[in-house]
Amino acid sequence: MIHLTPTIVAIVMASGAVAGCMGGLLGLGGGVFLVPFLNAWFGLDFKTAAAISLVTVIATSSAVSAATTGRNLINLRLGMLLEVASAAGGVAAGLTISHVSDIALERGFAGVAALIAVLMLTRLERSNVIQDTTQDPGPLGGRFHDEESGGDVIYRVRRLPVAMLVSFLAGNVSAAFGIGGGILKVPVLTAWCGVPMRVAAATSSLMIGVTAVASVPIQYANGYVNPPLAGAAVLGVLVGSRGGLWFGARARSKWLKLLMAMVLMLVSITYLRRTL
Amino acid sequence: MIGEGPQFARLEVQIGRLLVAGVTISALLLAIGLGMWLFDPGRWNALWLLNAGLIVLMATPILRVLLSFAEYIAMRQWFFAAVTILVLLELTVTVVVALLKR
Repeated sequence: MIHLTPTIVAIVMASGAVAGCMGGLLGLGGGVFLVPFLNAWFGLDFKTAAAISLVTVIATSSAVSAATTGRNLINLRLGMLLEVASAAGGVAAGLTISHVSDIALERGFAGVAALIAVLMLTRLERSNVIQDTTQDPGPLGGRFHDEESGGDVIYRVRRLPVAMLVSFLAGNVSAAFGIGGGILKVPVLTAWCGVPMRVAAATSSLMIGVTAVASVPIQYANGYVNPPLAGAAVLGVLVGSRGGLWFGARARSKWLKLLMAMVLMLVSITYLRRTL
Repeated sequence: MIGEGPQFARLEVQIGRLLVAGVTISALLLAIGLGMWLFDPGRWNALWLLNAGLIVLMATPILRVLLSFAEYIAMRQWFFAAVTILVLLELTVTVVVALLKR
């Protein structure tokens, strides 16, 4: 463990702000940017970096969801059902993570960063998948007012086992690599399970908090969560993600996604080279 | 119809309030703790405040699940109350493992 100085704490806070800002620009958490900052660039060991990042995921989840409630966008029932799977994935990874080597985790992270970059590139043109029908939403579906079309939208949840499976995997990935995992769930929920984009994103934002809490206490007890550094990162991310959301609403998202996909590809290559 | 009743909207609003309170309290504790820690890293109460901030942060989503459970029981939504118990059980496993490790 490195010796903590005020400068180091300030750098971690700034990293949190930058990562939160980059995440907010894209509507993700900042974890996928914060982990390489803290680990590859700053030199914390991987598990410490991932655990600190996962703590910031909880903060992002609470802050973002608090801002989204009251608009019927969060599907609480679907979210709770999927949390059974995502928390199980989190607990499983949380219990086993201390037996996995840092090298193996870094290789895995290279893969996850590349996967996220590819997902981002394939979804450049996609902002909304909304099926406007008058069908019965069923026990898990819902209805919300869509600001873009100006009308009410009803949706029905399909292929629940697929949603459960991807939630479990997202929980695993989240606990192992310190990211929220929304980037993995949201494409599946929108493409295969009939959930509109904005509902999927809002529901996922709420879910990642519980998913992270399914493993963070274990990592905290293992000593991977350094309190001053985690506190600095949380405060940085809270400020940064606010800025990112503000800029994100005013920027061309297509070019942003392209840029971030390139950054993530670089992160992935850096990690592959480190572990070879 | 399920999912469109006013009770669900009320639960969402309550959850929103809980999350705002959790994130605000933890950010305050972390900010004060970090400030004190930077001023004098040896102070016990600085670390105490930082840890308290992190614990409030971790407790917020757990409280959100508990609140949902109470509301589903009040709404007589037995299926979702049962689902919520499963999530609570998983979180209990984590918290117990963490406490045993301390």
